[in-house]
Amino acid sequence: MNRIKKLLIEGLWKNHPVFRQLIGMCPTLAVTTSAINGLSMGLSVIFVLTCASFIVSSLRKIIPPQVRIAVFTIIIATFVTLVDLFLKAYFPEISKSLGPYVPLIIVNCIILGRMEAFASRNPVIYSVLDGLFMGTGFTWGLVILASIREILGGGTIFGINLYQNGKILVMILPAGAFFALGFLVALMNLLEKRKW
Amino acid sequence: MKQALRITCVLTVVCLLSGFFLSFAYNKLSGKIEENQQQTIKKNVLALVENGAYMEEETSEGEKYYLIFNKEKNLVGYAITEEGNGYQGKIKILVALKSDLNSLWGIQIIESQETPGLGAKINSTEFKNQFKGLIIIPQINLTKKEPENHNEISAISGATISSRAVVKITNKAIKKLKRILEK
Amino acid sequence: MVKELFYIFLSAVLVNNFVLTYFLGICPFLGVSNKIESALGMGFATTFVMTFASTISWLIYYLFLEKFGLSAFLGYSVFILVIASLVQLVEMFIRKYSPGLYHALGIYLPLITTNCAILGLCLFMIIRNYGFIESIVFGFSSGIGFSLVLLIMAGIREHLDTCEVPQVFRGASITLITAGILALAFMGFGGIIK
Repeated sequence: MNRIKKLLIEGLWKNHPVFRQLIGMCPTLAVTTSAINGLSMGLSVIFVLTCASFIVSSLRKIIPPQVRIAVFTIIIATFVTLVDLFLKAYFPEISKSLGPYVPLIIVNCIILGRMEAFASRNPVIYSVLDGLFMGTGFTWGLVILASIREILGGGTIFGINLYQNGKILVMILPAGAFFALGFLVALMNLLEKRKW
Repeated sequence: MKQALRITCVLTVVCLLSGFFLSFAYNKLSGKIEENQQQTIKKNVLALVENGAYMEEETSEGEKYYLIFNKEKNLVGYAITEEGNGYQGKIKILVALKSDLNSLWGIQIIESQETPGLGAKINSTEFKNQFKGLIIIPQINLTKKEPENHNEISAISGATISSRAVVKITNKAIKKLKRILEK
Repeated sequence: MVKELFYIFLSAVLVNNFVLTYFLGICPFLGVSNKIESALGMGFATTFVMTFASTISWLIYYLFLEKFGLSAFLGYSVFILVIASLVQLVEMFIRKYSPGLYHALGIYLPLITTNCAILGLCLFMIIRNYGFIESIVFGFSSGIGFSLVLLIMAGIREHLDTCEVPQVFRGASITLITAGILALAFMGFGGIIK
C-alpha cells in the first residue's frame, strides 16, 4: 500500500514527466492549443502507457536485453496504432485536431523511458500503476498548460467563451507554447526550492 | 548461437502478434473510418446547398468531383476540392457551384494552417458568407475595400495573403470543374 | 518541378521550421544545444538519418505496404523500425570513424530514434502525398532546418552562460523562453512563399 502511495506521489508530482524530468515535451507544446486537445492527448497516453507497461512487465523475464528497445518500440507502436484507429473511427473531430501527434506518441520519450526505467524491472501490478500515475501526471500537466494558453490566447476554456477583448494572441501561437512551458518549469523550480 | 536464436524468436513472435492484433483492429474499424471520411464531405457540401438531398461522386482524369441533387432528383450543383499555398501552409477548399455554373453555393475550408486570429479568420462565417451566391464570371476578384461588383470578395484586414490565397484557389477549382465538365 | 522542390526546402527550413512550428525534435534541441560543436555534430547526424529515413520509408510504404493494403495499420510500425535501424547504422559509423563526436553526443545519439522530427517527417510526407524526389528533398530540408535552429540556439546559449540568469529560470526554463522568442522571429518568414 505504501509502495502504491509512493508511486502515486511520484507520478503525479515529485517526478512529473514534463515539469521535473523534462521529457515528452513535443506533444506538450504541440497539442496544448486548447484544453480539450490536451485532455484527449493525455487520455491517449494513459491508455498506451498502462497497456504497454502491462505487456512489457509481463514479458520482462523473456525479452532479451540486447533487443529490449526494439521490442518495447514494437509494443508501443501497436497500442498507439490502436488508439489512432479508435480515434479515427469514433472521435474523428479529435483525431483531426490532434493530427500527426497521435502516431507521434510512439516516440514520446515518456513511454519508452518508463518501459526502460520501470516496467521492465518491476512486477506487473506496480508497473501498470506506475504507467497509470505517470500518464495522469502528464495529463494534468497538459490540461494546465492548455488551459492557460486557451484562456489567455483564445478567450475560451473547453470551448466555452469567457471574454472577447484583450486576448493575448501569441499564446496560441507556437511561440506562446514555449513561453508558457518555460514559465511553468520556472515555477516548478521555485516550488522545488521550497521543498514542495 | 542459442542467444541469437532466442533473439530472433522473440522478435518474430512480437512482430507477428503485433501485426495480427493490428490487422484485426483495422478490420473491425476500417468501415467506420471510411464512413466518417465520406460523412465529412457530404456534411460540408450539403450544409452549403439549400435543398441538397444527396450527392454522386464522379471521377474524370483522376480528379474527383460531386454532382449534387435535390429531393426531386434534379441536378442543383457541383462540388470539387482544390488546394494551394496559403500564408503558413496548404489550404484545401471545397467549392460548391450552382448548376448554371455562373455562381457559387459557397465554399468550405477543409484544411488550413493559417495564423490564429488573423489568417485563420478565413474559417469565419463572415468571410465564407461572402462566397454564398457569388458570381464567378469572369472570375472572382479580391478587393481591399467594400465589394462593388457581384464577383468581388472583401479581404480580411491584416490577412491579405490568406484571403488572396482563398480567392486564387477557389478560381482554380472553378476552372478545373469547368474544364472537366466540358469533356 | 524545381520550383516546387525549392518551396519544400524553404518551407521546411524557414517558414514552417520543424522545431519552431511543429515542436518536433525538442528533446535533443534542449539537450544538445548548449555547445556549438555538439550541436553541429548532432545536426549533421540527424540530417543524414532524416534524408535516408524519408527515402527508405517512402519506398517501403508505396512499393510494398500500399500494394498489399497494409499501410493504414502497419505504416507507423514500419517507419519506426526503419528509423531505429538507420540510427543503429549511423551510431556504428560514428563510433568507428569519429570517437570524439561519439563521446560528445553521448546518450543523444541513440536518442535520435525517439526524435519526433524523424517520425514526424515520415508522417508529413504521407499526409502531404509527396512523390519520391519530393520526399528526399523534404527529408534533407527538415534536417537542415533542425540543424539551423540547433546551431542558432547553441550560439545563444553559449552567450547566455556568461549572463546572470535568475536561479529559477536556469536550465530548461530560459532555454524554452529563448526558443519562444526565436519562434516569434521565425514567424517573420511567413508569407514568403506565394
